[in-house]
Amino acid sequence: MTRLASIRSSPRVVDGSAAASDLELGADVCVIGTGAGGAVTAAVLAEAGLDVLLLEEGGYATSDDFTMRERDVVPKLYQEAEARATADAGIAILQGRAVGGTTVVNWTTCFRTPEDVVDHWAKRHEVGGFAYGDLVPHYEAIERRLAIAKVEVESLNANNRALYDGCKALGWEADTLRRNVYACMQTGMCHLGCPVNAKRSMLVTIIPDAIDRGARLVFRARADRLEVERGAVQRLRGTLLDAGGRAPTGRTLSVRARRFVVSGGALNSPALLLRSGLDSGGVVGTRTFVHPALGSLALYDRPILPFEGAPQSAASHHFAHRGDDVGFFMEAVPWYPGLGATAVPGYGAPHLALMREAPRSALHVALLIDGFHDDVPGGRVTLRPSGAPLLDYPIVPRLWSAFRFAQKRMAEMQLASGARRALSLHDRPAEVAGREDIDAAVDALRWEIGAVPVFTAHLMGGCRMGDDPASSVVRSADLRHHTVENLHVIDGSVFPTSLGVNPQESIYGLARLAATRIAGAPR
Amino acid sequence: MTPVTRRAIVQRGLLGGLLLLLGGGTGLALLPSRKVVETVPPLLALTPSRFQVLVAFAARAVPAGADAVAVALGVDRTLSYGSPEVRQDLDRLLGLFENALPGLLFDGRALPFTRLSPEGQDAVLESWRGSRLALRRTGFQALRKLCLAAYWVEEQGWPGVGYAPPSGLNRYAYDDSKVGTPEWIAAQPAEKRP
Repeated sequence: MTRLASIRSSPRVVDGSAAASDLELGADVCVIGTGAGGAVTAAVLAEAGLDVLLLEEGGYATSDDFTMRERDVVPKLYQEAEARATADAGIAILQGRAVGGTTVVNWTTCFRTPEDVVDHWAKRHEVGGFAYGDLVPHYEAIERRLAIAKVEVESLNANNRALYDGCKALGWEADTLRRNVYACMQTGMCHLGCPVNAKRSMLVTIIPDAIDRGARLVFRARADRLEVERGAVQRLRGTLLDAGGRAPTGRTLSVRARRFVVSGGALNSPALLLRSGLDSGGVVGTRTFVHPALGSLALYDRPILPFEGAPQSAASHHFAHRGDDVGFFMEAVPWYPGLGATAVPGYGAPHLALMREAPRSALHVALLIDGFHDDVPGGRVTLRPSGAPLLDYPIVPRLWSAFRFAQKRMAEMQLASGARRALSLHDRPAEVAGREDIDAAVDALRWEIGAVPVFTAHLMGGCRMGDDPASSVVRSADLRHHTVENLHVIDGSVFPTSLGVNPQESIYGLARLAATRIAGAPR
Repeated sequence: MTPVTRRAIVQRGLLGGLLLLLGGGTGLALLPSRKVVETVPPLLALTPSRFQVLVAFAARAVPAGADAVAVALGVDRTLSYGSPEVRQDLDRLLGLFENALPGLLFDGRALPFTRLSPEGQDAVLESWRGSRLALRRTGFQALRKLCLAAYWVEEQGWPGVGYAPPSGLNRYAYDDSKVGTPEWIAAQPAEKRP
């Protein structure tokens, strides 16, 4: 048994905001970031007997902080308090910022990387360091550790059941999902941190494992740049942040280590490399993929209560493979008043009227599978003048075309599930009550940024792996940087494309494989 | 004249691009604003003058009768977690919303936003909302979302939409990192196993 309270108060866990002086630290391995990639890497390397130092920019929130109120929790757990967006403000970005990273706030959906995606990487992106079969034992280990299990149809909440039933009624593929929860109380609060620790996030599982095995953690510590000389990182320079995570305390951080692992996620990892002058010939930051997501609101005559029950527990991949057209998958999303209010169209009285439909409404999304077509290049991470990351992700015509198709299919599915009306989330929405009305209504919509909300919670790419140094940042076998010998990037930023599934388990599995290989390498 | 490309706009940030389109920095004439709030509370991110504009915007965006000052303070708090560039973009955006000169160009109004009647302000919102310029549409949406989120994260509106989240469940939280593993389950008393 490892008591979480004892981990939080361990002398190996240091609150950077409270440091009375600059911190000068050393370690065998310094892991920057404590999300899916960093946590798993740290635990594996600590288990192997290495002295591991974990750094985290966010705070160390626990279930005591998860009050189930957006006002309290969102600033503590999300990048820019959920207000992060792409450069042209066309896509809203939901990304975690806390010990445990996005795993603390995700909706618990677990998929292994689809085998055909791994094969595609080998064929098209020179990923020769592993095959799908090499990942399987790592997925299995993670699935045991995180209690990942498939949801029963009978336990779907009405929001997810509507998606499942609507797809089945149309003869489309749909299935329940696997979730990393144990004894879930169905509070519906995954988005705000699990108040009962039923969600087996990194915060309550793998990070405690790493600390138990001797790893140290400094939180409220921002990595500013890596100092590279003679082909190796010599030192990391960082800044300690105040307790709210908003401003520097004036104290600094300096870390010397034999090996550095960058695990900041698909925006922060490329940004750190760019701040360190490691742009890999212009490759770093490019091919960033986000599964751009489009919503559809269904109104029913029966209670749906989309804020209760497991938020995400069914999905359809019926349209994942569309040949020359961009494919997508459909999932249900939970409803919280603050987040929901930004998705519901309009303002003033009309907005309020739609908000009042919440108990009888269901919200579903189509997530585009980007990165598999030559004219869908994804986005590019650059640096703002302050050094913060900025993602420029133009929504290209082929994506708009896929959105239009997906909007129609979502409306069909929602009406087939018994909805009396289906609404797009456009600022001036299409509203349909019959299947025969869908095409004309959706075709009449404005398909351009600022006319329809697009969001992402899945950030991938930007430091892609591959075995050609001209087109990739890290080699695929162990995710080591091509030219900096003691530097690895281990997180979702290494994926050469998007995944077509929710990314957390893909990151866990690949991180475990890479870390295991690093642990076995000569020191 | 150098063409205004998408890249140029992005490089200057959301509102920097819009200012560029308008010839910003060449002396936009500003009529004086109306003081919407007599005493501006302490702010984390916004300047007092922009806060006045935000309060006026919020009053039109959130449900009638809501406390627009509280909403604007919530937005200010959210912005305090953003990068300096994001705060600067919002500052410029609110400046443009208020400014009568671009208002005259796009909306046919000769008064700052804060000096318009509620109906006049709604007309400005509609103009930005449906604009042919992506930068105006996204600017409007940014303010709309910030205000609505700041209003709806507070509890006052929840009864009207049937939202009643539980509270105090934290006391039932597992305090064991191994929960749910096969080894943990095997160690539980038989009657407690799933």
